[in-house]
Amino acid sequence: MAYKPQYCAGSSVVAANRRKQMDPAHKLTKLRDVTDKDIVLIMGHRAPGSAYKSAHPPLAEQQEPACPIRKMVTPTDGAKAGDRVRYIQFADSMYNAPCQPYLRSYLEAYRFRGIDPGTLSGRQIIECRERDLEKYAKDLVNTELFDPALCGVRGATVHGHSLRLDENGMMFDMLQRCVLDKKAGVVKYVKNQIGEPLDSEVKVGKPMDNKWLKANTTIYHSLVGSAYRDDAEAVEYIQRIHGLRVKYGFMPKE
Amino acid sequence: MTEATFPQCRIDSERLMNPETTEKLLNKIVSVAGVRRMVLNGQRLPATVPYGPARGQANPHPMRKTIHVGDQEIPLQVHVGTVLLEIENKDVIPALKAAIEPVFTDFSFRIKEGKFMKTEPSLVDYCKYGPNADKAMLGLADPSSKSKPIILQGIR
Repeated sequence: MAYKPQYCAGSSVVAANRRKQMDPAHKLTKLRDVTDKDIVLIMGHRAPGSAYKSAHPPLAEQQEPACPIRKMVTPTDGAKAGDRVRYIQFADSMYNAPCQPYLRSYLEAYRFRGIDPGTLSGRQIIECRERDLEKYAKDLVNTELFDPALCGVRGATVHGHSLRLDENGMMFDMLQRCVLDKKAGVVKYVKNQIGEPLDSEVKVGKPMDNKWLKANTTIYHSLVGSAYRDDAEAVEYIQRIHGLRVKYGFMPKE
Repeated sequence: MTEATFPQCRIDSERLMNPETTEKLLNKIVSVAGVRRMVLNGQRLPATVPYGPARGQANPHPMRKTIHVGDQEIPLQVHVGTVLLEIENKDVIPALKAAIEPVFTDFSFRIKEGKFMKTEPSLVDYCKYGPNADKAMLGLADPSSKSKPIILQGIR
């Protein structure tokens, strides 16, 4: 029988959402239309429209050593062109943000190529060749993985994941890279991801409502969402893993 | 003089408060007799970016404003989420609760009695203030901070 990945244990909505996001066969719903130029502005690695800087000559122009792995793996567009490695980093609120750092690394590993994700408790960074990054970043911002109020593109000074939201429903940001335009109800980036002011505001759309967030979140939260302890399958799974790890510590002989 | 220990309480709001809400809340607190000391706790909002590639650049932030409380101007340095209070006696808490209730219309709050501020000098306080520390200053600010307390004239 062919192997069929199961992605994640759990019988709750949260677990189902995690599985959905990780499964590359599931097409992520597009919710907003942030343009390529806007993504480049938010990331702040290069001026929109400028050429990609390179770290090495294009692969076609350089002599590659005879290597069976190089023959097997098709290089990504960025690698082919010799682009620099650049990054995008996200901070996600634990108040029902649609994606979470740990999950981001999983889903990126399943969905994208040529990436180096780094996971921390409240933020997640993904590094890859610049033109690949722009393509991936667009997916990460425009789809159901992102909420303008509860997910932030933050290169430095990321604190906010575990803090209470502010009165406007936005996650705390010491540098306030994005602000809520109360009249239009739209979130606008006024600084790039490292906190430098942008010449023009970048609109990233309306924050999603609480009902949508609760139905699409991938984090357990006993107060504002679904509690981990209510998910019997997830608890059973984690207890099994815990039990096996402890037993293995004693090197059991069967 | 008799050494007195005053009760303390803490006001937690469900959301971090905008400067306008903080101003409203503090004016309500000031209107209640019996509040001795108060600390505004929250995430710091520095005027310049403290670290990272943009270090040293100005950090305009809509939540960092100067608010008017009682007869004083208070430049906010934090995004207020918690207010610590030292009060003269426990009877002040119900009055305080009744006074601030109208401020929290859109989200909830909690008022909790306990011990949240220092009342005895710690080692760092001793290093900073010496053996005769003013007890009114203890626990109000980090000993390394250069900021001074703001004195609000209450209703008495």
